[in-house]
Amino acid sequence: MEDCNVHSAASILASVKEQEARFERLTRALEQERRHVALQLERAQQPGMVSGGMGSGQPLPMAWQQLVLQEQSPGSQASLATMPEAPDVLEETVTVEEDPGTPTSHVSIVTSEDGTTRRTETKVTKTVKTVTTRTVRQVPVGPDGLPLLDGGPPLGPFADGALDRHFLLRGGGPVATLSRAYLSSGGGFPEGPEPRDSPSYGSLSRGLGMRPPRAGPLGPGPGDGCFTLPGHREAFPVGPEPGPPGGRSLPERFQAEPYGLEDDTRSLAADDEGGPELEPDYGTATRRRPECGRGLHTRAYEDTADDGGELADERPAFPMVTAPLAQPERGSMGSLDRLVRRSPSVDSARKEPRWRDPELPEVLAMLRHPVDPVKANAAAYLQHLCFENEGVKRRVRQLRGLPLLVALLDHPRAEVRRRACGALRNLSYGRDTDNKAAIRDCGGVPALVRLLRAARDNEVRELVTGTLWNLSSYEPLKMVIIDHGLQTLTHEVIVPHSGWEREPNEDSKPRDAEWTTVFKNTSGCLRNVSSDGAEARRRLRECEGLVDALLHALQSAVGRKDTDNKSVENCVCIMRNLSYHVHKEVPGADRYQEAEPGPLGSAVGSQRRRRDDASCFGGKKAKGKKDGEMDRNFDTLDLPKRTEAAKGFELLYQPEVVRLYLSLLTESRNFNTLEAAAGALQNLSAGNWMWATYIRATVRKERGLPVLVELLQSETDKVVRAVAIALRNLSLDRRNKDLIGSYAMAELVRNVRNAQAPPRPGACLEEDTVVAVLNTIHEIVSDSLDNARSLLQARGVPALVALVASSQSVREAKAASHVLQTVWSYKELRGTLQKDGWTKARFQSAAATAKGPKGALSPGGFDDSTLPLVDKSLDGYSTVDRRERRPRGASSAGEASEKEPLKLDPSRKAPPPGPSRPAVRLVDAVGDAKPQPVDSWV
Amino acid sequence: MSYIPGQPVTAVVVIEIHKLRQGENLILGFSIGGGIDQDPSQNPFSEDKTDKGIYVTRVSEGGPAEIAGLQIGDKIMQVNGWDMTMVTHDQARKRLTKRSEEVVRLLVTRQSLQKAVQQSMLS
Repeated sequence: MEDCNVHSAASILASVKEQEARFERLTRALEQERRHVALQLERAQQPGMVSGGMGSGQPLPMAWQQLVLQEQSPGSQASLATMPEAPDVLEETVTVEEDPGTPTSHVSIVTSEDGTTRRTETKVTKTVKTVTTRTVRQVPVGPDGLPLLDGGPPLGPFADGALDRHFLLRGGGPVATLSRAYLSSGGGFPEGPEPRDSPSYGSLSRGLGMRPPRAGPLGPGPGDGCFTLPGHREAFPVGPEPGPPGGRSLPERFQAEPYGLEDDTRSLAADDEGGPELEPDYGTATRRRPECGRGLHTRAYEDTADDGGELADERPAFPMVTAPLAQPERGSMGSLDRLVRRSPSVDSARKEPRWRDPELPEVLAMLRHPVDPVKANAAAYLQHLCFENEGVKRRVRQLRGLPLLVALLDHPRAEVRRRACGALRNLSYGRDTDNKAAIRDCGGVPALVRLLRAARDNEVRELVTGTLWNLSSYEPLKMVIIDHGLQTLTHEVIVPHSGWEREPNEDSKPRDAEWTTVFKNTSGCLRNVSSDGAEARRRLRECEGLVDALLHALQSAVGRKDTDNKSVENCVCIMRNLSYHVHKEVPGADRYQEAEPGPLGSAVGSQRRRRDDASCFGGKKAKGKKDGEMDRNFDTLDLPKRTEAAKGFELLYQPEVVRLYLSLLTESRNFNTLEAAAGALQNLSAGNWMWATYIRATVRKERGLPVLVELLQSETDKVVRAVAIALRNLSLDRRNKDLIGSYAMAELVRNVRNAQAPPRPGACLEEDTVVAVLNTIHEIVSDSLDNARSLLQARGVPALVALVASSQSVREAKAASHVLQTVWSYKELRGTLQKDGWTKARFQSAAATAKGPKGALSPGGFDDSTLPLVDKSLDGYSTVDRRERRPRGASSAGEASEKEPLKLDPSRKAPPPGPSRPAVRLVDAVGDAKPQPVDSWV
Repeated sequence: MSYIPGQPVTAVVVIEIHKLRQGENLILGFSIGGGIDQDPSQNPFSEDKTDKGIYVTRVSEGGPAEIAGLQIGDKIMQVNGWDMTMVTHDQARKRLTKRSEEVVRLLVTRQSLQKAVQQSMLS
């Protein structure tokens, strides 16, 4: 045993020695070669050249920085594998926001308890599409223009000396690696002939030797490994071409260089306000900073920077070479070093273990770093980390990072502002509202608005508006945004981008809206804040130019047939929200109110009705007490003549907008836009003021009814719902009611039928929609025998009875019962119904069910002022509406049991619920004897 | 599509059908009749029996066309922007069945719409 041990120990020792000897030989050979080369170079050298230790000098400061750009997708290991190619590197991960302009946006419609939808639309800031890992390495350029690998003189000897032994003793790594490292470090750094080499070598190696971690990086990487790695050394060796080490392989390696440099300029250019530090060396500095401490270079660099605060010294290698100089500084650097290096970092898992990304607290600390580029990079990195990562976002908040970022929004350097804003955009995104609140609490909203006012750079404006959009989805922030930002958003973005001009130039063509990202973000933000209740609506309506600009933008969208995009959707949604309760909230609205059965109104109405009836609907019996109100069919021609053009919020309810909404309803293929346009018509046609009456008539005159009826077939639930409610409001107009009864009944009944038997999986209508459809049916069959007849013809009764019997929803059942009750109230129809086998019980018991709870539940408390959304705007019918919504979720056992008897008896010979299309339609000519007409399946 | 003042009113809808892949074929799930080479008087769907337009004669249940909302009796005015009111039956079939097109946008008119429009014009 022991013998064996001794033997093996001895053999190990022997092999170590042998290795060392080999290394020494190699080093020597390489050194010689290097000297040789250096001499040659010197001979052929430019006179001005100061031959420093590294073989390069001041005249070529630019040459020192070589960038190797590597595109790396955030998770890809593959690219990491290639990392070693870039040897002594300062690696920096820059999140490049590829296209801040087309963020994926998520619309989430949250249905709140009372059933109104409120849209919280948040926009995701798609930040990081590409993570560019930029490896910066400093390479001295040799006199011949080829970059020389740096690290020069000290490395060779060092490697084969202390490091070597150290390494081996630790048994850390395969000899192969080591030797390769050795080789390339030796070969890679042609050394100047200077005598200085050896001394510096000595000191350096000693310095390095003291750091325990050094071995780590070489080996497969114990945790502390990353700490050590004065990166360039080890990495270097693993060049892509192990064969010819040294200078020869360099050109290849550096082919990326022009690209890298170009990228460099680009990033510099982006910051056009860059101060004096934006010299070329600044570039290096920025890139390097966040990683500082990673390698000797940085350290050396830091030293200079720290000493003189002068970033411009482009001979970082020098201090490094003269290790004695660097040594003392280590202390100061040390802190930063440690800061940067300690703990494993957030996404270090997918990085090469050797590199450790700074941890979150470290990144946040860098936000306070005195050097601006460090701040900027830290913020950019933060943006990257926060991309759709709730955990990191939360931690940033907990670590109080948000106030730091907000403070940076007012930073004098544009680059810093931009990066900070980018980080805030990501941090503000998401369902988690705490970050939004935290941004508010540290004055983020005014700061963002200030930045928007100051920024000329489009990217910054996109970021600011994107952040505001994110913030605006949080209810408590809406008013804050209105208070601080409404004017700015309107005048800086909405008005200029909408193409609207306060004083249009008569000669020139009106400008079209520009659907820029900034406009989209801003309109999204306003869309969100516009749902914050009466006060918010008032502020938006009265914001000068806002309504005008939105209308102009929408008109231009219709004109260009470009109605599917998000900006249009946002604009229509704002308009819809602002149209909510106009008849109550607009200044001077009282003047237009129509007294319910006002003496004048009813007189005019009945006269008019008489005339209308005579012409079109002669003999129609109007019954019910509501007639007086309903029959006021003002002709659009009766619209009051305006002395001056409407402007501002008046535009919201001018009959002219009807055409706009109808165009959107026919043109757009965006369901949200369709829903919002229908919702706007619905809001405008509600209420009993003069303008609503005009609107209802105008929809008919503009041939809007068929458009709406057609949309009842939409496959999108919410569109059907908005359209159904709009039709219901429109049918307050008597003639609309007749038309809708004749032409929409089949579609409405079809929707009722679909509620029970979805035509296809997933097409099931939501409860709210079914209730809306049922209420609309109820509205149009009330006081209209003809419409009730249409319902029968459309086979609505069986559908309704079946719904009452089968629906899981109390509200649906109740609404359906209500319709049935109304139908039964027409004595003229009872004969037909009874002939079909229906009994009174079907209708009456249903009615009883419906009636029971309604009395109790109807009273007020239906506070809708904060939710200007669809269903609630039915002022004319608020009673019905309330009644229908109340019972939701309040299904009592009693109601359920009452439902029982309503079940459809299977033996009954009720007409089967067939398709609404006449069966004849289904007869095809195919069966004909003649070969024609041809009928081809496609 | 939109109402243009001064133009004769037609009530049209756009229906976008995503073709379904069935083996080698892309199917739309409806059948057409009519065309300028066909006998218009046999068209059971047209009101004007001289109308040589292309009509939807059958819609397969649950097929792409039905899902998109196409109905029997619809008159096809355009397919992806191509006029279909003056084409032969075969031309229409080919327009609809282009293999390169996964999606067809039909401009369609139907009687229920027409009537509603006319009605509202009278009022």
